Amino acid sequence: MIKTCYSFLAVLLFCALLFSLAFVTTGAQTVSPSGTKLPLRAALVVTPEFCETKFKKGSWATIKETFEVGKIACAELEPALGRIFSSLTRVTEPPSSGDAQVVLTPRFVDVGATTTIGAFSNRELDVFLEWTVKDVAGKTVWIETVQGSSKHHMGNMFTHSKNLKLIVTDSVKDAAEQSASKMSSSPELRKLTQ
Amino acid sequence: MLRIDLVRVLRTLVALSLVSRVYAASTFPEYPLNQASDYAVSTQTAGLTIGVKAVENLKDQETYFHTELTPKGFVPVFVVIQNGSSGDSFLFDKTKVTYGPADSSASTPKMGSKAGESLAVAAVPFVGLFAALKIISGVSQVQQNLLKKEMQSTTLSPGTSTHGFLYVPVLKNAPREKTHLRVPITRIGADEAFVLDLVF
Repeated sequence: MIKTCYSFLAVLLFCALLFSLAFVTTGAQTVSPSGTKLPLRAALVVTPEFCETKFKKGSWATIKETFEVGKIACAELEPALGRIFSSLTRVTEPPSSGDAQVVLTPRFVDVGATTTIGAFSNRELDVFLEWTVKDVAGKTVWIETVQGSSKHHMGNMFTHSKNLKLIVTDSVKDAAEQSASKMSSSPELRKLTQ
Repeated sequence: MLRIDLVRVLRTLVALSLVSRVYAASTFPEYPLNQASDYAVSTQTAGLTIGVKAVENLKDQETYFHTELTPKGFVPVFVVIQNGSSGDSFLFDKTKVTYGPADSSASTPKMGSKAGESLAVAAVPFVGLFAALKIISGVSQVQQNLLKKEMQSTTLSPGTSTHGFLYVPVLKNAPREKTHLRVPITRIGADEAFVLDLVF
C-alpha cells in the first residue's frame, strides 16, 4: 500500500517538474535574443495627457473605481526602457526634429479588473498599453500592445484604496517590463541598428 | 500507520490543488485556433493570410464568454492573421479596421450621391468593445475576459501570427446581414498600405 502511494507521489512530482520546466522554457522565449542594448537613440514621448490617463470602471450596482495608470506609467516607463536603449530621452511632445533615431509613443488602450466579494480574495488587473514607434523619417516601424497584469487583495473599506494603488502600480510596472522585453526582442527595431 | 495517513493527506492536498488549477484554467476556455487559411472566410495578399469566423452560436458565446453577446447587439468575430512571408514585416492597427454592410465593397461611389453617403456611414471605425463593455454590465470577470480576448494592434514579423476577437455591432433580435470587414495593413519599410477585405 505504502509502495503504491509513494509511486503515485513520484509520478505527481515528476509531472510537476515537467510543468515547471515547460514554464521556464516559455518564459525564456520572451527574453531579448542577444541580451544587449539596442544601439539606438530613442525619444520617449510622455505627454501631460498620457500622464493623466485614468480609467473609471464600475457602475451604481457595483463598486466604482478609478485606475490612475498614467501617473504610474510616467514614473516607470523611463527606467524600464532606459535599460534596453543605448540612449533614451524623455520628451513631453513628439519631436519635430532632433537626434532621436526612434520616437516611442505609448497610449493606454484600456484596463480590465475583476472584483471580489471577500476583502482577502485576490483580484486581477490587466493594463493594455499600445506602443507606436516611428523612425527618423516619421514612418511607423513598429506597433505593439502589451498586457501588464498583477494580483492583489480587494481590501475592505479601510484598505481598498491602498490595495487599489498597489495593484495599479504593479500592473503598470509589469506593462513597462513587458514593453522593454518586446522592444528588445523586436526584429524590426534591431533592423534599424544595422 | 501514521506514515500511510500522512501520504493520504499529501495525496489529497496535491489532488485538490490540481483540481483547483484545472477549474481555474477552464473558467474561460480559449477559442480554438486554426491556420488562417483553414477558415471558411479567408483571403491572402502579399504573403499575408487572414481568416475570420463569426461566433454566432449562442451556446458557443456562452462557452467562451459566459454571456450571450448577440442579444446585446454584438457578434464576436474571431480573426487570425498570419505572415507567411520570409522577409517582410507588417503593421496591424486595430483602430483602422472598419466594418459595414456587405454591399459597401461596391466600386468607389461619388461622395455626393446617396450611395456615397450611405457608404460613408457604413464604414464605421472599429470601437466595438468600448461600447460593448458599457452595454454588457454584469460580472467583472466577463468584461475582463472580453477585453483579454480582444484583438490588439501589433507588428507581424516574418513567420508570426496574431489572433483575437473583434466585437462587431449587429441589430438586436433580427437576422444578421452580411458584414464587410476591412482590415488595413501596412508593409514596413516600403510604406505600402493595402486592405484585406472579408465578407461574412
